Amino acid sequence: MAEEEDTNRVTSTWPDPPPFWKDFTPENISRYDTLKSDYATAHSTPDPDSITRLPSIPEDLINLQPPPEPTDGKWRLYSEAQALTDTLQSLTEAGVTPLLPASINPSSQDSKHLDRSFELKKLAKSILLNYLELVGVMSHNPAHGAAKIQDLKTLILNFHHTLNEYRPHQAREQLIQIMQDQLDTKRAETAAIRGVVDKARRMIEGLGSLELPRLDDEVVTTGSIGGRETEERRRVAAERCTVGSVELEFA
Amino acid sequence: MAGREVDGALSLLLTQFIAALYYNERHHDLQKFSPNDKIPELKQDQPPEVDTLDPEQFKAGQLELARDLITKEQQIEYLISTLPGLDNSERDQLQMIRELEEELGAAEQQRQEALRERDEVLKRLDGLVRLIRRH
Repeated sequence: MAEEEDTNRVTSTWPDPPPFWKDFTPENISRYDTLKSDYATAHSTPDPDSITRLPSIPEDLINLQPPPEPTDGKWRLYSEAQALTDTLQSLTEAGVTPLLPASINPSSQDSKHLDRSFELKKLAKSILLNYLELVGVMSHNPAHGAAKIQDLKTLILNFHHTLNEYRPHQAREQLIQIMQDQLDTKRAETAAIRGVVDKARRMIEGLGSLELPRLDDEVVTTGSIGGRETEERRRVAAERCTVGSVELEFA
Repeated sequence: MAGREVDGALSLLLTQFIAALYYNERHHDLQKFSPNDKIPELKQDQPPEVDTLDPEQFKAGQLELARDLITKEQQIEYLISTLPGLDNSERDQLQMIRELEEELGAAEQQRQEALRERDEVLKRLDGLVRLIRRH
């Protein structure tokens, strides 16, 4: 039974790993690590791990370090073009007529989105108007509808594009909101802790003023009744203290 | 979230466009171009091309659809105007984030300080309680 399974396994092996796995011998790895730390000390970099590539490396160790970043920022993976920087495809690149005025430049850091929301509203109105026109055209001659549909398509794509450009802005806006919330929570927490601490302090002070005259009393009246009374008071005070620490969540 | 809401509203508007077109296409009346034209009689098993509605009902339907379209468009405009941070530029935002970061750090320090104070007071209180109990 076991032998049968073995033969099955042999007939369906995985393809061999890339040949460079053989370079990763313990010896080579330690050699590479020494080279790396030497390089780090030579260039006074505190952390050798922060170095990803050594400029000069022996030929037989070349496979131990990752390949360099593509110089033009692009590479192909599974026959699809990839880019280091993820950019939104512009409308012109996608073959759509851009309708927004060029003055609204999304890449500029100072551009405000107020104008863009105005443009979006204009687009929304245009979409509705174009639809009305489309219905009009269709009622007279359905064959002429295609051009109008193309117009509508351009408008809608422009609308989507403008909205997509706004997304990073919205993400930052949300981050600001979250940070503000965190700040508020932290401040509230600090204020609450301070409040309880103050209360506890007052209680300690109150305890002090409560006890001092009693101590004097004890000195004066050495009777057993007086002594018991102070003890009673102390117990009450102690109980209050425990209440205080319960509030501090340290019961 | 808001950006997605606008997206969704637009999709709904477009769906309504199609629905309205379909309504007109399906329920319109048949007309003759000239007096000689004849509306062909349908065979029994042939599905009717149009499902003509009573003119008044047809008009009422059109009116409702048109109203819905306008409402939806206005909703989109409203949603656009509620998009957060429209009057902030990217530079403003980055500045704000940096400021918040600093404030957060300061607040955290204060919080730690308050925690230390709390522990200290707690210790004192604890000592007092012990002292009193021993008596």
